[in-house]
Amino acid sequence: MNRRTLLGLLALTPLLPTRADEVQVVRMWTLLSGGDGARMRALVDEFNASQQAVRVESTTLKWGEPFYTKLITASVVGAGPDLATIHLSRLPNLAGGGVLRPIAPAELAAVGLAGADFLPRQWTKSQYAGRTYAVPLDQHPLVLYYNKNLAGRAGLLDERGQLAPIEGMAALTEALRRVKAATGKPGLTMESAQSTYAIWRLWLSLLAQQGLPVVANGRFAYGAAGEATLARIAGWFQAGYATPGMDYPASTSQFMGGNAGFMLNGVWEVPELVRGSKAGTLGFEYGIVPLPKLYGNASAWADSHGFALPANGDKPMSAAKARAVLAFVAYVSRHSMGWAEGGHIPAYRPVAESAAALALQPNAQYAAAAHNVVYDPDGWYMGAAGPLEAIASKFLPAPLAGQLTPADALGRFETEAARLLKKRAPQY
Amino acid sequence: MRTLHRRRETLPAMLLLAPFLAAFLLFFLVPALQTFWLSLTDSSLTRTSAFVGLANYVTLVQDPSFWAALGNTFYFSLLTVLPLTVLGLVMALLVDRFTRAGPWLQGAFFLPFVLPISVMTLIADWMLQPSSGVVNYLLGMQRAWFADVHWAMPMVAIGTIWWTVGFNMLMFLAGLRNIPRELYEAAALDGARGWALFRHITWPQLRPVAWTALVLQLIASLKIFGQTYIMTTGGPYNTTRVTLHYMYETAFTQSDAGYAAAIATAFVIVVVLLSLLQGAIARRLGGAK
Repeated sequence: MNRRTLLGLLALTPLLPTRADEVQVVRMWTLLSGGDGARMRALVDEFNASQQAVRVESTTLKWGEPFYTKLITASVVGAGPDLATIHLSRLPNLAGGGVLRPIAPAELAAVGLAGADFLPRQWTKSQYAGRTYAVPLDQHPLVLYYNKNLAGRAGLLDERGQLAPIEGMAALTEALRRVKAATGKPGLTMESAQSTYAIWRLWLSLLAQQGLPVVANGRFAYGAAGEATLARIAGWFQAGYATPGMDYPASTSQFMGGNAGFMLNGVWEVPELVRGSKAGTLGFEYGIVPLPKLYGNASAWADSHGFALPANGDKPMSAAKARAVLAFVAYVSRHSMGWAEGGHIPAYRPVAESAAALALQPNAQYAAAAHNVVYDPDGWYMGAAGPLEAIASKFLPAPLAGQLTPADALGRFETEAARLLKKRAPQY
Repeated sequence: MRTLHRRRETLPAMLLLAPFLAAFLLFFLVPALQTFWLSLTDSSLTRTSAFVGLANYVTLVQDPSFWAALGNTFYFSLLTVLPLTVLGLVMALLVDRFTRAGPWLQGAFFLPFVLPISVMTLIADWMLQPSSGVVNYLLGMQRAWFADVHWAMPMVAIGTIWWTVGFNMLMFLAGLRNIPRELYEAAALDGARGWALFRHITWPQLRPVAWTALVLQLIASLKIFGQTYIMTTGGPYNTTRVTLHYMYETAFTQSDAGYAAAIATAFVIVVVLLSLLQGAIARRLGGAK
């Protein structure tokens, strides 16, 4: 073999991976655990079995701040995965910080997707600075679960056995009081221990119900109403209608064990109730309603999962790889009925608006929640497990346990967060 | 002749020192200087950017969160440094005294020290659970110790003492075994016993060891991070968040590496100053040799 032939052969090697029969391996990082994780694994397996050209290898990582730190650092140095599941509330942080790579409309079209295929709210949340940075998968709002047996004994059900509508803070407080009085069990359960998020989500929902932003023009803008709202919530705990100091597993098992009238939580607990109900281990009948209108409107906090492509520094992915990645994303979108069974509201309209999805129980009971959702406000420090939420989770639970007054808790929250609001968005 | 001899010794000495020097330069001095440089910039977690001079330090001195974290670190040190040293001494005396049970005691006292931090914190967490923990069972309480403002830090301190006291015991034991037996025999002939032996022989001989233990313990306690990070996550509402935890949050949750580097640099200065201060006190009291 002479030198020229050798060089010629070497020049051909970059072409080899693009041969038609070569399998494209897509490495995905997901933050989905529990029931969500199992469902995503099933979708990955079905996709891998459905064709030969692309193989998705999924790695599940612990969700929260470590997941995002890992994604950010890995992507910046070019060692990130080809695909990641993220929360759309983190988009201003991740897309704005240069962690994600935009997805061109032509790339989406090549796998048969378009913006119009997705529910407008989720699609808008997938955009940053006029470009698409994620393909939305779902929406998961805060909802109100109730135990029909306990609520029935407290006289809170209508003649059809459903929860009689609750409107206004006083009405909900009264409902909690009646459960406690009639059954001796707490009216409400929600996670309330230090470093838990439920209180932040509820507080954010109730501020939105009063038309108040948390942050406006780089300042905290909730004012006295923020304190009053936190005080109303803390009041439930002080009056004994709810147990303070509960971490997430303790709070859900209190409800699943039939020991609380209501539970405030995201829709991701739906599969566990469906499963317990089917297996006959639940021991009570349950219902789910959107977060009631407690102030001026029925806003409820929500977040969405979405698929995003890490920018991977100076190692951007090939066009063939991008096509393989998006082929998987399109497959999951079209098969998101299985995802809906996880309690989530799918983002892909042909599935979300199908007769099957609209009839799905118990999802249909709270489907109206989708019309009133509020996401974390935009800001680089906002979003799931983001810097501001991390700070809020330290201070907002304290008044529930009576450790701090609402005013003191919010004062400390603002002091600690002051630096974040002043700082400009980091470029990663 | 003499210089030749010296040169002959220099080369092996350099060769023997080289690995340590290389490691020291590569893994300590260079990163330390880089950290200081980083503290003068407005850098994010992964990208170094704009030189801002001492701006981060100006922010630092006005940052209530930093001072609170530093206060928590001192509080933890206050709760641990002296008890760990004294307890280590008492344990070493017990091991040394009981010739038969000594090795068993030594093993029992030292055992917790071999546990990884994750195991130690898990055990402490189980024991202190509000409804199922053995501590509450024995006390007939339902207290959530790690969520209690007044008890969280003392509980972390107790867990740390149980975990690390074995090392101090070993140090004191080594010191004790170095005291010539003849001193005791001579004193015994003069009729000294018990407390007098300890006061006039054991303690003067052990004093340098005690000061060393105190200095090492002070540095170790100031560097606390893992225990509070796992057991209390710095809560309730940051009352157990220590300096290194604040630095970690600043760097990783808030992606503010420049400011985190300033916290780190300031903290190193505090640790060095306190160690020097302790050394000065030791010299004045005639403890250190």
